Amino acid sequence: MKSNLGTMTLLPAAALAVSLACGVPVHAQSATPAPDQETFDVGQLFATTCGWCHSDGGRAAGKGPQLMNTTRDDAYLRSRIKSGKSGAMPAFGETFSDAQIDQIITYIRQLKPREG
Amino acid sequence: MRKQWLNSGLPVLVGATLAASAALAQAVDTARIEAAGQNDWLTYHGSYKSYHYSPLAQINANNVGNLGVAWMHIPGRSTRGLQSMPLVADGVLYYSGSYSRVFALNGATGEVIWSFFPELDEALISRQTHSPYNRGVALGEGKVFVGTMDGRLIGLDAKTGKVLWDTKLIDSQKLTVGFTGAPLYAKGSVIIGAQGGEWPGRGPIFAVDAATGKKKWEFLTVAGTDEAMKTWGSDSWRTGGGGGWMPGTYDSETNTILWGTANPAPLYDWSGTDYKTQGARPGDNLYTSSVIGLDIDSGKLKFYHQELPHDAWDFDSAVGEFVMLERDGQKLVVHPNKSGYIFVYDRNLGLKNVWRITENSNFVKNIDPKTGELVGRRDFKAGKVDEPLCPHISGGVSFNAGSYNPKTGLYYKLGQEWCMTLEVMKTTPVTAPQAQLNIGADFKIAPPPGGEIYGHLDARDPVTGAKKWEVRFPEPPLASVLSTAGNLVFVPDSRGIIHAYDAESGTELWNHNNGTGHQGGIVSYSAGGKQYIAVTAGFGGMASDDYAPTFGGVYKSMPRDDGALIVYSLK
Repeated sequence: MKSNLGTMTLLPAAALAVSLACGVPVHAQSATPAPDQETFDVGQLFATTCGWCHSDGGRAAGKGPQLMNTTRDDAYLRSRIKSGKSGAMPAFGETFSDAQIDQIITYIRQLKPREG
Repeated sequence: MRKQWLNSGLPVLVGATLAASAALAQAVDTARIEAAGQNDWLTYHGSYKSYHYSPLAQINANNVGNLGVAWMHIPGRSTRGLQSMPLVADGVLYYSGSYSRVFALNGATGEVIWSFFPELDEALISRQTHSPYNRGVALGEGKVFVGTMDGRLIGLDAKTGKVLWDTKLIDSQKLTVGFTGAPLYAKGSVIIGAQGGEWPGRGPIFAVDAATGKKKWEFLTVAGTDEAMKTWGSDSWRTGGGGGWMPGTYDSETNTILWGTANPAPLYDWSGTDYKTQGARPGDNLYTSSVIGLDIDSGKLKFYHQELPHDAWDFDSAVGEFVMLERDGQKLVVHPNKSGYIFVYDRNLGLKNVWRITENSNFVKNIDPKTGELVGRRDFKAGKVDEPLCPHISGGVSFNAGSYNPKTGLYYKLGQEWCMTLEVMKTTPVTAPQAQLNIGADFKIAPPPGGEIYGHLDARDPVTGAKKWEVRFPEPPLASVLSTAGNLVFVPDSRGIIHAYDAESGTELWNHNNGTGHQGGIVSYSAGGKQYIAVTAGFGGMASDDYAPTFGGVYKSMPRDDGALIVYSLK
């Protein structure tokens, strides 16, 4: 079964800061307007972007490390998401608001093995 | 000896041999690339025939045991390794590294003649996933052409490295994609395709005037014609994809550019079997996962074959090989699809045959060799996919090239045996540039059912697929293959060993450890009357980044930010 931990409601301030479907960059000059959406679905974000490297929605190591049960603290995760790592992970600091990055960290903290 | 000044400011002495060779040099033009002189390697695929074959035989099956390192060159800043195909003209070797660094080296000694480090939008590159590697340059009309990750195509003076023109083709800030593939020079034009498969763009392929840098035409691989627009239901052309990120070739007899295109986005669809009317992108999604023929003068589509209609597995057609053969009076073109199926066409891309190089494949039951129909295709619904999907997302074959040897009549091509577990997710349509990708599933690499992951070098008939011999590797090699008239096949493997095999039997005759994994090009050329083998080493990238967590061993400590060009000759 798929965990539904990934769907969380955006804080109003963050919702104002972004108009995105699965993480449209704040600075993107959209060819077509992105849907006006008040939810930031981290599960979808992993299925569209993060999961290529953090396998199985972050539950397993892939090109990038396993995120489930990570021993890294929040500050480390926040820094890595914002700044990336040369040659290994893109920088998402211009893409996500601080509130969204907090939600990504919450998603990571709540990851559990899939059932069945 | 004559003295030159580099654009980097360092003086360099150019050898007398090279000066003499250069004095005899003729401009690289379409006729010269077509003729494929034996001493040179003038375009990514060796010549427009895409053989990746050298007619040189000074190094051969009898003396390959005496092969040793002649010289090396370190390009520096090899983030995600070194993935390019060196080119050689008149004894000068040209190659590129990550961040589109370009070097011109004395082919006999490795001395640097000039170097070019473009100023790039580093902030943009730090946001990109498929970056910052560069897979090669093109030569023509006294120039060297290179693409950049921030959407530019640059023409350099081949003698000095000076920038002659610099043309912005893509708004990479907006789309987050650029150019990683080598350009193709033909008939006064430089052709280059953009990245595209995972992003909401329309996957353009460009032609630029080689003399001026002015854009001549642009073809959109996503809904680029009225006919194609009808194959993207629910306005799904806006989710995009496509592109043509590896160089194709030029057929002078038909005045046509042949190019392979990438997949549609999202990579995995939740349509189920009703993919024509349901799901993320209802319809066939032309011209993604296709081979296309474009008029080189106008960019108009002349003919195409969609290898995977409605590709729902990311097994695209972007592999750039179009191996041109003659068999029983027929002029044929052989093109590998990422899935591991190898398509055989006539010169107008009319289908003649389809065969498969992989053993483990279940995304379809078969592809009809007469009609090209995908028989028993697996179109997933949202949710966990019960049976692992084979091959893995890294494909049944790499983007790198095989080699056709006209002396043996055999096609030497690497196959990859691996699978993946998969959970398809119904996602919100991504119609504007997003953070990065648009995959549409969670997945994880897995071994084939009942077996282990492995790779294999096959020697096959390129038209029928009949196998003469096979050599297996514990991890799939990802680099290009070279065969020569010296009855040799060279395979640079992922562990870092370069192997030489007897082209007729597959017997290993020689190997050497280059110290890090290979995932780029290999060529042969002659300078000053001596034959050389040049290979790029340096690991890292979308396929090779999986090796450390999957295989451990030497990959655990293998750098993913290093690389070298290593050149061999007889001792």
